[in-house]
Amino acid sequence: MRGQDAFKLVWSSVAHSLSKSLLTALGIAIGITAVTLLTAIGGGIEQYVLNQFSQFGTRIIAVHPGKNVTHGVGGLLSTVRPLSIADADSLRALSGVEQVVGVVQGTGTIEAAQRQRTSDILGVGAQMPEAWRFKLSLGQFLPDDESGRSRPYAVLGYTLRQELFGNQNPLGEFIRVGGLRFRVIGVIEQKGQMLGFDMDDIVYIPVDQALQMFNREGLMEIDVTFSETSSSAAVAQAITRQLTERHGDEDFTLTTQDEMLDTLSNVLSVLTAGVAALGAISLVVGAVGIATILTTTVRERTGEIGLLRALGSSQGQVLGLFLGEAVVIALLGGLMGIVLLGIILVGFSLVVPNLPFLISPMYLIIALLVAATIGLLAGVIPARSAARLNPVDALRAE
Amino acid sequence: MRALDLFNFNLQVIYRQPMRSAMLLVAIAIGVIAINLLTGLGEGGKRYVLGEFDFLGKNVLIILPGKKETTGGMPPVTGETPRDLTLQDAAALKRLPMVSDVAPLIAGKAQVSRDASNREAFTVGTNRAFFRVRQLHIASGKALPSLPLDQAEAVCILGPTLRRELFGTQPALGEWVRAGDRRFRVIGILQPEGQGLGFDMNEVMIIPVASAQALFNQQGLFRIFVELRSLDNLAGSRAMLTNLLRERHGGEEDVTLITQDSLISAFAGILDVMTLAVAGIAAISMLVAGILIMNVTLITVSQRTEEIGLLKALGAPESTVRLIFLAEAGMMASCGAVFGLVISNILLFVARTVYPAIAFTTPAWAQIGSLLLALLTALLFALLPAQKAARLAPLEALQNKRAA
Amino acid sequence: MIQLQQLCRTFFAGDQAVHALDHIDLVIARGEYLSVMGPSGSGKSTLLNILGLLDGPNSGTYRLGGVETTTLSEESRAGLRRQQIGFVFQSYHLIARLSAWENIELPLVLAGEPPSSRRSKVNAIVQRLGLSERATHAPHQLSGGQRQRVAIGRAIIMKPQLILADEPTGNLDSVSGGEVIALLEELNREGITLLVVTHDDAIGARAQRRLKMLDGRVHADSGPAQPLPGADSPTHLPEREVDARP
Repeated sequence: MRGQDAFKLVWSSVAHSLSKSLLTALGIAIGITAVTLLTAIGGGIEQYVLNQFSQFGTRIIAVHPGKNVTHGVGGLLSTVRPLSIADADSLRALSGVEQVVGVVQGTGTIEAAQRQRTSDILGVGAQMPEAWRFKLSLGQFLPDDESGRSRPYAVLGYTLRQELFGNQNPLGEFIRVGGLRFRVIGVIEQKGQMLGFDMDDIVYIPVDQALQMFNREGLMEIDVTFSETSSSAAVAQAITRQLTERHGDEDFTLTTQDEMLDTLSNVLSVLTAGVAALGAISLVVGAVGIATILTTTVRERTGEIGLLRALGSSQGQVLGLFLGEAVVIALLGGLMGIVLLGIILVGFSLVVPNLPFLISPMYLIIALLVAATIGLLAGVIPARSAARLNPVDALRAE
Repeated sequence: MRALDLFNFNLQVIYRQPMRSAMLLVAIAIGVIAINLLTGLGEGGKRYVLGEFDFLGKNVLIILPGKKETTGGMPPVTGETPRDLTLQDAAALKRLPMVSDVAPLIAGKAQVSRDASNREAFTVGTNRAFFRVRQLHIASGKALPSLPLDQAEAVCILGPTLRRELFGTQPALGEWVRAGDRRFRVIGILQPEGQGLGFDMNEVMIIPVASAQALFNQQGLFRIFVELRSLDNLAGSRAMLTNLLRERHGGEEDVTLITQDSLISAFAGILDVMTLAVAGIAAISMLVAGILIMNVTLITVSQRTEEIGLLKALGAPESTVRLIFLAEAGMMASCGAVFGLVISNILLFVARTVYPAIAFTTPAWAQIGSLLLALLTALLFALLPAQKAARLAPLEALQNKRAA
Repeated sequence: MIQLQQLCRTFFAGDQAVHALDHIDLVIARGEYLSVMGPSGSGKSTLLNILGLLDGPNSGTYRLGGVETTTLSEESRAGLRRQQIGFVFQSYHLIARLSAWENIELPLVLAGEPPSSRRSKVNAIVQRLGLSERATHAPHQLSGGQRQRVAIGRAIIMKPQLILADEPTGNLDSVSGGEVIALLEELNREGITLLVVTHDDAIGARAQRRLKMLDGRVHADSGPAQPLPGADSPTHLPEREVDARP
């Protein structure tokens, strides 16, 4: 039989009982919509999180004190051998390195003339704005003073400036940070939240002052950025060599941004896949729906199956026709699902704009392929029972 | 029509189409299983996670250095402030009347070695009270001796994993290990315990707090655990602790005080929302099953048009006809739901047997809820076809002949 | 053209064997017109199904056009059905959702003929059967006689050698029934072998060769008639007396 004729025959059957076919397809449609929507939300969140992280640039390597197997906890705890400001400075000379920023973080009270606020204090090196791609909205950033002799200057984050000074000009004013006097010389432009962490509620002070204030020996982190022409592997190797030489041991941990993004991206992809798999349960129910309805159809059309066999159709042809019907219904469901998805997305974008959905045409093609596969699988049992009908009995059925 | 007659009547119908009935049953069962299984997993996960936080007695407060004004979120984890929490702070807290005991904590990583074996281990500096507060049990040897807080002593207790990695099968008690540039004598081994969140107590080395201060060359404490004599007037106790530390820190409130309950309830809230979301996604499959029920009921109505005509000719009112079809859907849904409940409980039982640590059980609300949801879905979606059947004109229905 | 030797077909009802066909020997020449009569359960429908390759025998041989069919695969049997055999049923077996025209076209579609050649073939048949005005109607819009004519059109569209008609007039009034039989006989005169299973003595009597079946055996056979003029001369098979054991 020619493909086109087979399709017409299948379609005539689907269209003949249209409400039944559409209801069956609707089951698949809901499943497809659920899976696609959940995947899209997952993908969107992944994209969002990765963007949040890469806003600091992707050519960045973080050095933490202590050699640990598990990532992340290292900086919080004291270690035997600290990373010093001198260690940080020694990295500047390495080839390919652009900026080096030592970081110490803590919390404390920040007092202006009238107001007081407890907030994050970040001791950083002078190259922080370039390294982290921060821009100043007022004044300038901390000067590159010699370590240990830095002047007591401070730069405010957006929120902190609002809280302490309102609309007044903070430049040149004095504030007390952790009991010490600093002079405000700049304000960072608004950065917003990053993963629930308010990056504007921060005061930046020179890193050596912070070490003194917190009575710490070592830095919590050294951030190293490198030029476009060098690779993260090469720079990481150079840093490792340099610091190992200075410490006599590899007692620090390097995290390259691409490594971190990879890990993060993997975790989020797994989560997305998991959630999508939950949505796929409804696809399974939809498949059961197709199988059920097709079973009814086979029963209803027993006479027709007998006739087709009498007219010289092989078992394979009958099997193909019913499988075709299952696939057509499922594909119909896939298309309906895509339309449904479109409606939901438009609805969402009207109610809550800027939701991080990520829909690519690839998803839609995959959705249709998945639908077709489901139809094929769901059609197997009823189609086989149709093909296996004894033609003599089938003809007698009517 | 009497209920029993209705039941028998429909049973015949269901029985006559075994394949279709079975598949309908499966569809509903999948929905019920999905909801129950996922809620069960969610609940099990929640209890597990909360259990992990439950290592402290209820009457233990945690004090960490640092404070942020943004409250309600997770407490700050980093512990750098202009003013440290000191051993003197801990001693002062202990003198308060409602405080029964205090355990200071310094934590860090140190290179721990014995002969050739050497690894980096979490090292905790604390006192004897810590073992009770943190509910740590000694497998062999003894806990830290009772010392004045500021007195160092070169003894340590090892976690079982760390002990195995350093000593293998050889005896460890009484042996010396090296941490950083100091030596400690092993006086006790901890009992193995489940993998905790964050700290793995199986890999830890515990030393006196003053020794840790020297090892890490650091005065400030990472945490202070305060055990209260009673939970009565918790708010009052909190205020007194905070006041004491404010006075000691030059009038500045620079510590964060958390109770285990606040930590647990924050987590429980998040986990409940997650469980609900997951169950909600699973419930989408119930919607699909509902559509299938509607479809099948529609088909049944059209197949049984003549029968409906006959029933009406025999004097059945519209309400009876509607009831017949609603009851059929309801019966199928109940069977499917019960079937699903049984399967999901079996699966959860298997999960409990395989992972005894996690209590996978579906809460009663989810079990009953999924049952009711299945029934409600079936009735709701069968209503339209049943209505259609009820409204058929008897004569036309009787004369209905399918075209050949 | 058709040669059955010692053909048996046995069904089992519970543990009781029912010999629907019991050692049948039968030779049918090309262009013959046979009627098969007999009471219900005499095996005439089973004979028709086996001749139509819808069913296979338990033992014995069936040669169709010189080809031994009992050893063929289902696929090849389907091919033979498609190319050589046309069926006409009592209940027409038209597909409700297809028009008269499309029902007649169906065998060509299944055989994979291109649409261009299909159109002229179907049109020719539709015209011949006098269905031109009804071609686009659905089966339920047609009278019984018209439906059966559509079914006959469908049976002959592939130009088969053999038409098997199972009670073709069973659902028709005598006028339409007569028309349908006349149409079938007209096809037979053109050379198609025609086998009609019927309960109706009048219709049975019209055939040149009349078989009477009873208990799975050919009880009486009026014997092969003279080959019709215009039909191919039958292959020379040994004339045999039909087994007529009581």
